[in-house]
Amino acid sequence: MSSTEALQGWLALEHEAVWLYPVIGARFDGVAERARASYGRHRDVRDRLLARLHDMEVEPVATALSYDVNRLRTRSRAITAARQIERDIAAACLTLVGEASGELRTYATAGLRRAALAEITWGAQPKAFPGLP
Amino acid sequence: MVISRRALLGTGAATAAVAAGLGGAALGHRLDDLARTVGIEPHPEPDPADDRLIKRVAADQNALLARIEATAVRHRGLRLDRFVTISTAHAKAVGGATSVPDVARAPADRATAVRALVNAYAKASTDRAADAESAVSPALARVLASMSAGLAQCARAVGDLR
Repeated sequence: MSSTEALQGWLALEHEAVWLYPVIGARFDGVAERARASYGRHRDVRDRLLARLHDMEVEPVATALSYDVNRLRTRSRAITAARQIERDIAAACLTLVGEASGELRTYATAGLRRAALAEITWGAQPKAFPGLP
Repeated sequence: MVISRRALLGTGAATAAVAAGLGGAALGHRLDDLARTVGIEPHPEPDPADDRLIKRVAADQNALLARIEATAVRHRGLRLDRFVTISTAHAKAVGGATSVPDVARAPADRATAVRALVNAYAKASTDRAADAESAVSPALARVLASMSAGLAQCARAVGDLR
């Protein structure tokens, strides 16, 4: 996998997060504020990834036509979905860490740390190696 | 105040176990073992600079583990077991230390002790991120970056214990 492919994999997940959090916030009042903050962070990351890929003269991956809403039927399942997207993003960032060097590796390391902390925000327990299987 | 090695061996079970289990291991060329520990296929020829980096990270992580254990012993009500487990995994991943490090006694005041631990985790997280950026091997970079993220999680979670 190239660093460009790893970036595209990360962007695809950010597209999903930007879709996911407004749905969670709209459905469950108790977590609306947390979802709003998460949405804002992921929107910013998505925009930076889009700009980065455009600067590389690479066509960014687009959002999916649809995402699975069935996993958001209850508050508990929605929180699980939030933890899962953050876990997936951490894994994508970790892939990029190994494929990149210099500034891009720094960027991926920061993304991994941000996703790991977001997992905690959504109720996960700390673990030794976030992003690793 | 400094806890003696003997005293720490009596209380810091995880640190002692890591040191005992790896005391005879050579420090050089640990990268293969490190990568396999976390499920990554290692680079066939570890870079000497990476070996030096792993040696330094091992010393840092073992000192952190000793510090957490010292805090856990003095403030049993904090229930730091899960953090000891995580730091033990970190220490083992980078090969442990050849001896149990000396460590300053944890502050008597609970809030001060928690704050000191949060700061120690935050510094370790920052340091491991910088180490990941300087690693030659992609596998080592991944392990250190992941470790940095785990340490950041610990800093957040320990801070929530206040």
